[in-house]
Amino acid sequence: MASQGTSLKRYAVTRLVLVLPMVLLLLTLVFLLMRVAPGNPISAALGGHAPQAVINQISNQLGFDKPLYAQYGNYLWDIVRGDFGTTITDRRPVNEIIATNGAATLELTLAAMVVAVLVGIVLGLVAGRFRDTPIDVGGRLFGIVIYAMPVFFLGLLAQLVFGSWLDWLPTSDQASPLTQATLETHTNIFVLDALIDGNWSALWDILKHLILPATTLGLVTAGIFIRLIRVNVIRTLKDDYIEAARARGISERAVVYRHAFRNALVPVITVVGLQLAQLLSGAILTETTFNWPGIGHELVLYIENRDYAAVQGIIVIFALVVVAVSLLIDFVNAFIDPRIRY
Amino acid sequence: MAVEAQEYRIRPPRRTPLAGLRRALVPIAEARGLARFMLWLGAGLTACFVVMAVFAPVIAPYRFDQYQSGSNRFSQLAHPSADHLLGTTVQSTDVLSRVIWGAQTELKVVVIALVFSLAVGVPLGLISGYFSGPLDRALVLLMDALFAFPYLILAIVIAFLLSGGIGRGVLTAAIAITVVYVPQYFRVVRNHVISVREEPYVEAARALGAKPPTIIRRYVFFNVVQNVPVIATLNAADAILTLAALGFLGYGIQPTDAAEWGYDINRAVSDAASGIWWTGLFPGLAIVLLVTGLTLLGEGLNETVNPVLRRRPIAKVDMASSMEVAEV
Amino acid sequence: MNRRGFSLRTVVLAGLVLVGVVALGTGAALSSSGSTKRASASVLVDGTTDTVTNIDPAGEYDYGSFTASFPIFQGLLGYAPGAKVIPVLATKCSFKGTKTYFCALRKNVKFHNGDPMTSADVKWSFDRVTKIKDSSGIYTLLTNIKSVTPAGPYGVTFHLKQAQAVFPLILTTSAGFVVDHKVYPNNKVQPNSSEQVGTGPYKLTKYTPGQQAVYEANSDYWGPKPKSDSLIIRYFSKSSTMKLSLQRGEIDMAFRDFTPTELASLGSTKGITVHKGNGVVIRYLVFNVTRAPFDNVAVRKAIAYLFPRQTIASKIYHGNVQPLYSMVPSGLPGHIDAFKTAYGASPSTAKAKAALSAAGVTTPVSIDLWYTPSHYGDASADEYAEIKRALEASGLFKVNLQSAEWAQYSDALGKTYSAFQLGWFPDFVDAEDYTAPFYSTDNFTSNGYSSKAMDALLSKEKATSNAEARYGVLVQIQKLAAKDVPIIPYWQGKMIAVSRSNVHGIDSTLDPSFLMRFWLISKS
Repeated sequence: MASQGTSLKRYAVTRLVLVLPMVLLLLTLVFLLMRVAPGNPISAALGGHAPQAVINQISNQLGFDKPLYAQYGNYLWDIVRGDFGTTITDRRPVNEIIATNGAATLELTLAAMVVAVLVGIVLGLVAGRFRDTPIDVGGRLFGIVIYAMPVFFLGLLAQLVFGSWLDWLPTSDQASPLTQATLETHTNIFVLDALIDGNWSALWDILKHLILPATTLGLVTAGIFIRLIRVNVIRTLKDDYIEAARARGISERAVVYRHAFRNALVPVITVVGLQLAQLLSGAILTETTFNWPGIGHELVLYIENRDYAAVQGIIVIFALVVVAVSLLIDFVNAFIDPRIRY
Repeated sequence: MAVEAQEYRIRPPRRTPLAGLRRALVPIAEARGLARFMLWLGAGLTACFVVMAVFAPVIAPYRFDQYQSGSNRFSQLAHPSADHLLGTTVQSTDVLSRVIWGAQTELKVVVIALVFSLAVGVPLGLISGYFSGPLDRALVLLMDALFAFPYLILAIVIAFLLSGGIGRGVLTAAIAITVVYVPQYFRVVRNHVISVREEPYVEAARALGAKPPTIIRRYVFFNVVQNVPVIATLNAADAILTLAALGFLGYGIQPTDAAEWGYDINRAVSDAASGIWWTGLFPGLAIVLLVTGLTLLGEGLNETVNPVLRRRPIAKVDMASSMEVAEV
Repeated sequence: MNRRGFSLRTVVLAGLVLVGVVALGTGAALSSSGSTKRASASVLVDGTTDTVTNIDPAGEYDYGSFTASFPIFQGLLGYAPGAKVIPVLATKCSFKGTKTYFCALRKNVKFHNGDPMTSADVKWSFDRVTKIKDSSGIYTLLTNIKSVTPAGPYGVTFHLKQAQAVFPLILTTSAGFVVDHKVYPNNKVQPNSSEQVGTGPYKLTKYTPGQQAVYEANSDYWGPKPKSDSLIIRYFSKSSTMKLSLQRGEIDMAFRDFTPTELASLGSTKGITVHKGNGVVIRYLVFNVTRAPFDNVAVRKAIAYLFPRQTIASKIYHGNVQPLYSMVPSGLPGHIDAFKTAYGASPSTAKAKAALSAAGVTTPVSIDLWYTPSHYGDASADEYAEIKRALEASGLFKVNLQSAEWAQYSDALGKTYSAFQLGWFPDFVDAEDYTAPFYSTDNFTSNGYSSKAMDALLSKEKATSNAEARYGVLVQIQKLAAKDVPIIPYWQGKMIAVSRSNVHGIDSTLDPSFLMRFWLISKS
């Protein structure tokens, strides 16, 4: 036990130390990519309206014509001090963007995860258990087709069907204007805020707005889960201990439900964690389609406007979150499986 | 009676030129049931689109940017009709033609991106996996960093980075996609190389004095490359989705250069709000069908080639008849 | 046997229960959705695709910020509906000599927090714009002010560096909004998350960046009460979602910007009214006159002869824009249809051909045309496809269309592109703002146009104080502009707002002053 303790500690330290160069690399990548790209935020704001002299003067004022290494130095120094900056195009502190828009994305991705887990895991388990039967075929085809559907296409269909033709559900925003105007902000996650205040009409309004985007994003993610879970179930069902359980006379049902499924789901945590980074990409498209005020949507708008400060700040924080989550998952895995330690 | 002794000369097994390929294709021939069905359905769908792409100038009724025939202007946003089987867009172009030409664009970009990714990812993975050391660690760090980056943002930034230099054409989109997928090939190849590297036969080769390039070439490469077709088809499916996403967000290919499904869906979103469904439905269906086809192909290959999932055909034993023989 | 851990059955049951709850809830919500839609009749909800940079007047130069701050701030002068300049926070203003402008201030005006408005606030407001030099560039409007001196608590004198006939119009812009000197620092812009205090008919009560701005009527307002008790401006990033919102009744009106297809569809939707008025937004094509082939004026003239203004206005914009024959839009004093006189009202291949052959230019001429696909609306792509078609149909040109997103496009303009699209909305509504920025040497388009004659005319126009004489100079400027044709203006947009049919008052605010006066709008 003592040796296990030290090796886990050593693993933790090693991984933490490796995190720093990775984060630094990400920061540098972001910085370079934004500066090297053509166009700059000042001309995006003033080009086509103000003379070049004014644009140059303002660029100078903001330090954008300093040499690249000087700008890089300032950038790193600011981050070390925890100052993630203020955006150029709408003067918002990046921390505030993370708090408000990040909460909106969190609400969307959590709701989507619920849908994905329910649909994906259930279908994956069933498909794996009843391999090569019509259920399996149906489940797998569903998974494949749903994954092949771009989330913005699904969103377009949803808007067409539920917005234009049937008019059952709202197709944009987190809540209707009146609800949003009167909702008290506590956590910035609307569902929670409405619950805290006991504002039931607001809660219904918010949930109604959440259904289409969450289902769209959730279904597409479910496609990935279905395939992964199914393969894991098949693999697990071939394992020796399953044979042993069968040989001992345990009913097939118990074998499948108690042994195979539980073990097949262990990698799910890893998968869910890995999906985090990819979920942001999916969230970008979903948020754009449904006008959801999340961080992916904001990021696309800031990139369009070459708002260096905004893009750098958001991606840095996002990278830190992803790294933290993947570290956590690695620790959990290392704790469970001793083979993974260095 | 003495049986005539025939001279059996001991020959080394004949190395027919396609022996290796034939060996690789055995699992496919042996595939049964669902795996076979998926494989052939996927191949069929993909083949359809490849034909569409290659023969676009012949199949498509009009060019992708054609807005008139002779001196007759096409009407804007016309319903599907005999003249325009899938209707027209807001720019008075034919939807069916744009779907067909779009197939050519998608395949062009994806093929170029695949070739680039393989050309960069596989050798890097081989070298990194085999030699280890500081180069390996540095590369792993870089690739993990790229992998952790949300792929869409990476693609967007690379796309507009390059658009300043080489414009917004097929090559820019292909390179943007390459950058996103190289880490995947690198990772898979490297991991596989690391496990293969420790195999006894590789050790034996090393003991016999074979130099690293020889070992890599003869033993490691072919072993590792078996994985690649499956990953390549699945990656191709992903790449099409990424390309469409780029086009949807407006960072894809210049609309005047080529038809692209993602861009068409972008323009169609405002049409959908007015109840016009044909401008978005058909490009979207095209994406779904092509990606489904590629995924089925990839999954089918995986089922047939991957030994974990592979099901060997089992000859059914007739217990009754064999019992009869035993009684004798 | 104890069953620990979840089983498939449990999972499926849980899923069914959740689905059931959601279905019931949706059903309940749908049946009660009527009540949430029909909220208090005195809340006006407006949708827009514009964005806001700053609400503090010292930091805003874009239309979205202006619309958001217009309900809460006021300047010394303003525009009455119909675009007539009237005193607002001032009671009387006039020139005392060509370089001195005096305003008497309105008494008993209070800021939203109760502070009285005096000349100290006026001086503070102007000084801070110039001192902060915010990166939005708004301070460039005040460069001609030498100093602002109070004349007692209710009088203000502006000392100008040079004679400027249009100075009163500068006072109507956001650069001239009066803010409370106790609340707004004079060395930096007040962040959007801090309180905003002005003298206007509405107070800003809540602002969520990128999502909404919420206003309440100012109970102590010195003027007539606003027609709606509350105002909510809702921000959309896509006009298609805004359209759906309007159709579902989530918003009452929408101002800026729908695509032409959406406007056509809304025009034929029951319960929705499209309001149109005279607009002052223009669209034009700029040539870099120092680069081939556009350095040859015959090439530019040929394009002017071929320009498909009518097709663009009818086919692409369905009549929501009108053909424009001068950089100065029609409806503004001093406007003449200079390009109609010089090049004809409709395209003519014969004249274009004649112009090119007279100059000995071999046809077809190969040209690159640049546009930006989303900054000015998605229809830009269609617009330029149409221009390409018209030019190529004549057989005289071979057109290669290119596009770049705004961030890159705006940085390049004339420095990189030889023929490119631009749009313009005015700082203040006067023909000077439609000529000086484009035709002076070293103008912002970087198109290399430099004409001594034109520069002389432009300076003369700036200095002329007599209105009739000034308009005369403007006519000469437009004639010279058509002759030299470094820029081809081609459409003038109508000012369009769409609302549900129970909304009243919008038509009164659609005029060339291009202001959305929300306090005049009500719902029944």
